[in-house]
Amino acid sequence: MRTTRILLTGLATAALALSACGGDDGGDTDSTDEAQAAAGDDTSGDDGEDAQAPEPAEIRLWLNGGDTPDTMRDWLIEAFEEQNPGSTLVIEEQQWEGLVDRLTTSLGSASETPDVVEIGNTQAPTFTTVGAFSDLTDMLGDLGGDDLLQGFVDAGSVDGQTYAVPLYAGSKYVFYRKDLFAESGLEVPATMEEFVDAAVTLKQDNDDMQNFSGFWFPGQDWRNGVTFLWDSGGELAVQEGDEWHGALSTPESIEGLERAQQLFTEASGAPKDGNEADPQVPFCAGEVGMLSAPGWVRWSIDNEEIGCPEMMENVGVFAMPGSDGEPAPVLLGGSNIAISANSQNQELARSLVELILSDDFQAQYAENGLTPAKMSLADGLGDDEFATASIEAVTNAKLTPAAANWAVVEGSRVLEDLFVAIANGGDVEQLAADADASITEQLD
Amino acid sequence: MTTRHPDSSVLDTGGTRPAAATRHTDDATWTTQRPALRARKTAAGRRRRMWNALAVVLALIWAFPVYWMVNSSFLPFNRIRNPDPTFIPLGGTLSAYERVFDSDFLASLRTSLMVTLITVAAALLFAFLAALALSRFRFRGRRTFVLAVLVIQMIPAEGLFISQFKLLEGWQLLNSVVGLSLLYIAAVVPFTIWMLRGFVAGVPRDLEEAALVDGCSRAQAFFRITFPLLAPGLVASGVYAFLQAWNEFTLALVIMTRPENMTLPLWLRTFTDANRASDWAGIMAGSALIAIPVIVFFLFVQNRMTSGLVSGAVKG
Amino acid sequence: MTPPVTVHGGRREDPGPSTAARRRTASRRKGRRSGRRTMPYVLLVPALAVLLAALGYPLFRQAVMSFQEYGLAQQFGQPPEWVGVDNYTRLLSDSYLWTVIARSIAFCLLVAATTMVIGTALAVLMTVVSRGVRLALQISLLLAWAMPHLASLTVWQWLFDAQYGIVNWLLTSIGLDGFAGHSWLIEPLSFFIVAGVVVVWMSVPFVAFAVYAGLMQVPVELEEAAAIDGASARARFRLITVPLVKPVLLIVGLLQIIWDLKVFTQIFVLQDAGGVTRETNLIGTYIYRLGLGEGQFGLAAAASWFVLLITVGLSLYYVRVLIRDDEELTR
Repeated sequence: MRTTRILLTGLATAALALSACGGDDGGDTDSTDEAQAAAGDDTSGDDGEDAQAPEPAEIRLWLNGGDTPDTMRDWLIEAFEEQNPGSTLVIEEQQWEGLVDRLTTSLGSASETPDVVEIGNTQAPTFTTVGAFSDLTDMLGDLGGDDLLQGFVDAGSVDGQTYAVPLYAGSKYVFYRKDLFAESGLEVPATMEEFVDAAVTLKQDNDDMQNFSGFWFPGQDWRNGVTFLWDSGGELAVQEGDEWHGALSTPESIEGLERAQQLFTEASGAPKDGNEADPQVPFCAGEVGMLSAPGWVRWSIDNEEIGCPEMMENVGVFAMPGSDGEPAPVLLGGSNIAISANSQNQELARSLVELILSDDFQAQYAENGLTPAKMSLADGLGDDEFATASIEAVTNAKLTPAAANWAVVEGSRVLEDLFVAIANGGDVEQLAADADASITEQLD
Repeated sequence: MTTRHPDSSVLDTGGTRPAAATRHTDDATWTTQRPALRARKTAAGRRRRMWNALAVVLALIWAFPVYWMVNSSFLPFNRIRNPDPTFIPLGGTLSAYERVFDSDFLASLRTSLMVTLITVAAALLFAFLAALALSRFRFRGRRTFVLAVLVIQMIPAEGLFISQFKLLEGWQLLNSVVGLSLLYIAAVVPFTIWMLRGFVAGVPRDLEEAALVDGCSRAQAFFRITFPLLAPGLVASGVYAFLQAWNEFTLALVIMTRPENMTLPLWLRTFTDANRASDWAGIMAGSALIAIPVIVFFLFVQNRMTSGLVSGAVKG
Repeated sequence: MTPPVTVHGGRREDPGPSTAARRRTASRRKGRRSGRRTMPYVLLVPALAVLLAALGYPLFRQAVMSFQEYGLAQQFGQPPEWVGVDNYTRLLSDSYLWTVIARSIAFCLLVAATTMVIGTALAVLMTVVSRGVRLALQISLLLAWAMPHLASLTVWQWLFDAQYGIVNWLLTSIGLDGFAGHSWLIEPLSFFIVAGVVVVWMSVPFVAFAVYAGLMQVPVELEEAAAIDGASARARFRLITVPLVKPVLLIVGLLQIIWDLKVFTQIFVLQDAGGVTRETNLIGTYIYRLGLGEGQFGLAAAASWFVLLITVGLSLYYVRVLIRDDEELTR
């Protein structure tokens, strides 16, 4: 029911936002002048007198999807309005789909820009490199400094300046069927090798089921596939001097890709060209021994309308193990938060970002199963099996290459194509070399 | 009737709308009523049944995905995507509809209705006037205009939203029904002009002239003679304009950024979540509700579509 | 509104002596004449104004941007740099582009033709079935047309899903076991057949409605007279119906070509569901994946003009016929 609940609360918040911004037109017109000054209208020779307390205003915060639950939003609004008397905070829920288009237009408009926005960590470089966000470098220490998830700070930084700071993270871990493990006499794997063996064994032991997967691995799922590449020491792309090159055809990468191919052909019954959406569907159909997915899949399985709550007692989780016995490097997902450079209320926006990165607020992300932006708060995730797997997975998680054009590589779906071809039993070395050529060209 | 003077059939009706029996589609009874063709009655009847059966089959094929949407809206997701599909939502649930009505559906419906009705009304009016100019007058620049309208439709509009946003920003029409409608009208007006132009040209001038001679005022001549003849074209272009505005997503996405200004397609997206499981039953329920006003609109206007040209009023 | 009655003599091209004479003598008539001369422009004003307002500036900017390095940075205030025809050469220098164009044209023509044939056939069918059946068919088509794309594309994906799809389920249950887990999207040909089915399904209602409206203007008397004269149904259709609905057929056919050439959403969504992106890109998705999704607007603008060029090339015949047809209509 969680998805439903989140959905409903999200919509309730939207309604709340609606009533909040109804009667605040005066504030808007007031701040237009400031906006013109901020937009660099030097000719007007503005006096810089508003150095004291910022003028009260309506602050618009864009949060995406349902990751930040209703209670957290309420808390944030209350805390912000208490700290900044006279100002109001309006949270407008955005959808991930179409977000880039909306940000592209709205952030460029002095009158319509939201003040603070959440943005996916892989989308962050697209906007930080073009001057869409305000420089937050001077606040970094106050916001948490070294305690902040460094990969996300990197994703939000250009040339040593930081424009977007971490909001929360989440990473994938392995869901497995305890009953099937017991039937096949398997233990939770401690190394990558054991993991692959377990996946193959499960597939063999349950081969009477048509689409059974020892490890559910649809062909397009490069976001899981990259784990095997990283585990064997490979990279997606590397930087030499100023230039980025695809690195899929290095010997280390090839080793990882071949391991992925073994899993595709010997352990997975998922469609060879499928994507990783709705993993609970094959899981609930009993066709999956193990799958690697973000933590929220737990709630999909435990949902009466979406999943199969009766199966929960057989669900176990662990962080995917690496070849060295440590957690394997998995792809880190999550969000950054930034202030629109066009915002007319920079001061208020900064105080909002401080509040969002405060321990009080971030701890609530941990309570809701997401990894908070500060390492020191990860304990808040709890100590059950899920929390342990989640924390372990994050410790060794990695991000996609920090190249400015990386989004183009993802957009062109080179990686999806590569893994589909690998899943179909193609020649790994040849495929990797071709993909490298495309990636190098796109990162250029 | 074929021997009558072209104008008389109209004047005979005394200015009321043309008699239904002479129209093409009203049960197409003309083949069976005429003595010369009566012999074919049974053969025609058999053929008719065959066509009816074919039409029903095709209707079912086209409606199947729609049925599947409605089916899915009543089922929990784990029964939609399941190795054993559920074809009839027995033991289904209305919970998706509850979620839909608990959300901003009605507010979005209002915004969408306003945008769409403005678009349809303005597009039809503007296009009708332009069609009148194009089919009843020869003037300098006419050909340029015709070509321009044609080419405008060919320009890929996908990248235009950036500049259109700037445009509306300058006019302070962001987040406004008027601003969005303006863009929609411009998007549908070229096709509407072309569509109506053919219909206006198809209305015999003699007919209106005759009506004028007969003492009708110009307005009367227009509403009694011209308008009914244009109706099929107006309905077809109206439905087109309606659906374009009703289902448009990208422009609405960038123009209507405030939650209180959501149109229905934007509202529908609130049920998706890339980071979590999307509420597919809710999306299907919402989609089913979004389709209803379209059908209502059509049922209101569909009679107009079948009132074709008056029998006997043949131009050439 | 000027009554059409007065139009006949008013051709600007041949002001015969008698016209000139009338103009000199009858001042009241002269007033009407000049009114008639400005009337068409007055009638065009609203449409023209709305087109200029909503599209004029954006199209102008699009033209300018195609010669600029214009990306997100420029969107956020950096001055754009003039790059001449760089965007165009960058676009055209990619050999893969030509594969995609050939693929797109083939897909476009096949799908547009199929849509036109089925749509027109359905429109004709509407004229020969009984009233209730016609309404049922119309509503069913309208439902398909009105279904939000988010829902319709999702449903089509579900139908053709390899493991949980109805299509495979039905095929397997009638004994074709080879279709268990069959992926419809992994082979490019099969991918485009599925994409074609979806696109045709979505576009046929529009064609059917427009053509049906056109058919409603065909005078019954004419067909009837021809029937009595012994013309076969086919001959009647070819000789009477087709010429009279030709304007509608032409413009609707042109639109199909335009839309199917730049088809985007259906391909984009299906690529996400399965298949190999590089083997299934059409112009729309290819250009998007070049980086337009990430805001390379200069390149996007160049691509737009380029696609326009292809469209004009593809539809040149259509446009010629349309224009000639248009001249005839008003003669």
